[in-house]
Amino acid sequence: MGNKTAPTVKAGGNPFGAHRVLLPKGGLPQPAVKVDNCMDYIYDNEILVDVDTLNIDSASFTQIKGEAGGDHEKIKNSILAIVAERGKMQNPVTGSGGMFIGRVAKVGPALAGKTDLKPGDKIASLVSLSLTPLKIDSIIGIKKGTEQVNVKAKAILFESGIYARIPADMPEKLALAILDVAGAPAQTAKLVRPNQVVVIIGAAGKSGLLCAYEARKIAGVAGIVVGLEYSKEAVKKVEEFGFCHKVIQANATDALDCYGKLMKATGGKLADVVINCVNIPNTEMASILMCKHEGLVYFFSMATSFTKAALGAEGAGKDITMLVGNGYTRHHADTTLNILRESPVIRAAYKKMYA
Amino acid sequence: MPTKTEIEVKKNGNPFGSHRVIEPKGVLTQPATKVDNNMDYMWDNEILVEVETLNIDSASFTQLKKEANNDEEKIKAAIVKIVGEKGKMQNPVTGSGGMFRGKVLKIGPALKGKVAIKEGDKIASLVSLSLTPLKIEKVLGIKKGTEQVSVVAKAILFESGIYAKLPSDMSETLALAVLDVAGAPAQTAKLVRPGNTVVIIGAAGKSGVLCAYEARRRAGVTGKIIGITSSDSGLEKMKEYGFCHENLKLSATDALSCYEAISKLTNGKLADVIINCVNIPNTEMASILMCRDGGIVYFFTMATSFTKAALGAEGVGKDVDMIIGNGYAKDHAEITLNILRESKQIRDIYTKLYA
Repeated sequence: MGNKTAPTVKAGGNPFGAHRVLLPKGGLPQPAVKVDNCMDYIYDNEILVDVDTLNIDSASFTQIKGEAGGDHEKIKNSILAIVAERGKMQNPVTGSGGMFIGRVAKVGPALAGKTDLKPGDKIASLVSLSLTPLKIDSIIGIKKGTEQVNVKAKAILFESGIYARIPADMPEKLALAILDVAGAPAQTAKLVRPNQVVVIIGAAGKSGLLCAYEARKIAGVAGIVVGLEYSKEAVKKVEEFGFCHKVIQANATDALDCYGKLMKATGGKLADVVINCVNIPNTEMASILMCKHEGLVYFFSMATSFTKAALGAEGAGKDITMLVGNGYTRHHADTTLNILRESPVIRAAYKKMYA
Repeated sequence: MPTKTEIEVKKNGNPFGSHRVIEPKGVLTQPATKVDNNMDYMWDNEILVEVETLNIDSASFTQLKKEANNDEEKIKAAIVKIVGEKGKMQNPVTGSGGMFRGKVLKIGPALKGKVAIKEGDKIASLVSLSLTPLKIEKVLGIKKGTEQVSVVAKAILFESGIYAKLPSDMSETLALAVLDVAGAPAQTAKLVRPGNTVVIIGAAGKSGVLCAYEARRRAGVTGKIIGITSSDSGLEKMKEYGFCHENLKLSATDALSCYEAISKLTNGKLADVIINCVNIPNTEMASILMCRDGGIVYFFTMATSFTKAALGAEGVGKDVDMIIGNGYAKDHAEITLNILRESKQIRDIYTKLYA
């Protein structure tokens, strides 16, 4: 690395990166045990990136740190060992990855006209490191108290891979914090219609706050946004942010209590849209009961159980549409970064809490 | 239980039946370990039913049978014991229930005018036995080779409970077989639009064949229905039924092969709607890759993993709506029973295979 020889360009790459899968043959890069991380060549539908920071996924970093007894040199060595063995930074215990920040080194010729990226652009990857070919030259250091690892490395983004350009008008850390949950507000914008009643479960949290903001904007003057939070402090936060018309203090694992309180708050109408942003198990039933017939429940929480949701709705005889939270929607990065520009309240809250 | 004493009617029952929960306090009837199955009284929003047949859920019955070494008397005793302890027929190992058939004995006065059944009507419950208060007086016998248990018993349907009036123009077993999967075709009817390209994964199966029939009708002359099955016998069946325009033999766990086949068939446009009806794990990725950007994936299979679907779509940058299969849709029983009346072919298939 650091040499200026241009990589050779190959043709015939698969859009999802299956051409880089070494083991087992024939699969996709995420479930693969080993991917090809040779950076002497790229396929014509790939983007080659000079990586300067890895943001290791929180579950993965905690596991590695625990095993290394907190020793930085040992943490570095295990990251190097994983990437050397697998060709990607996928923790073999947790299965998770993380994201990276870097500068575009080369855009494959088949992508010309399909992407507006050019060499030198600073980007953050929005697909997981668990499927991204990575070659580490050296690890420079780990930023204290964070999961950020400074590296000299190269990575490949596949044609289907998603990324965001880091904007010039805000600090990198602030942009990264909000990009981490970019899917939630962008989906909220797609689902909510004017004049609707919308419930946000976890409205003071990292993603819930953004969803409440977006829901309020789209539901409009005749809409009602209801924030639900568990603790007194969080309820106070929701009130201070001011995006919700009403705030309910309840435990989202107590379905009946949530149902009763929302019935009262809406005069028996319940919600057109319920957006679940809390990462704790057993909140499916509260989400379902708070939704009115033919309404919509959006599960952004990764703690959601598919069967609990499916059987729960049937058990309560609720004809509602339940959506699996998709971390990606078209233009989700732009939509979400723009919230930071529009709302001084959110920018201040994010700066204080996450950046 | 043929006593004719008037039963006491109580007021203020909860629509979801939480007034019958004994342990633990404050939960709903499904997660409850014990519900009140006293049939000397009922609440004014309940329906009391004289039960003739229990259809034990397949997973539960298999477990009971195995533990009893296939001894019918022991199976009977196990059923009586579970219901005696829990007040409902919820297998403590599998957690599952089943459904029942019976005759309406009494409709709570608060429901009069709200329900389309009357006392004396024959009905099948469409909510799980795992949440239904049940009191067994006697187990008469188990129908050989089935999971059908003949009983003298009483059960309670809650206000939110769903059921279907058994039609007089077809056999009970035929009606029950089709009601078991009633949610799938009713949801297909709601999702498919004229001109759509629709992929049905498992189109030769019990729910898949109904979905294929319904999708064909809704997509109309400009639509295209593509059926996928993994076996030669399935392929033969699909071709014989003739509901799909294209019949493919593919493994739904092989995401890339599925993607390539559909991409080729649709000139790269992919499908507008994917309906996944196969009860095997690891078919999320194939479902996602076959769907176009902005399309809909409907997971009717209980083997779906929420996180595999959510992270899978993000990993390949697909903006698709992924819907959790809801066993209930408004009027789903009527819609689905009607398929048997409309299509002699489906009626014949169902009579041959499941009734």
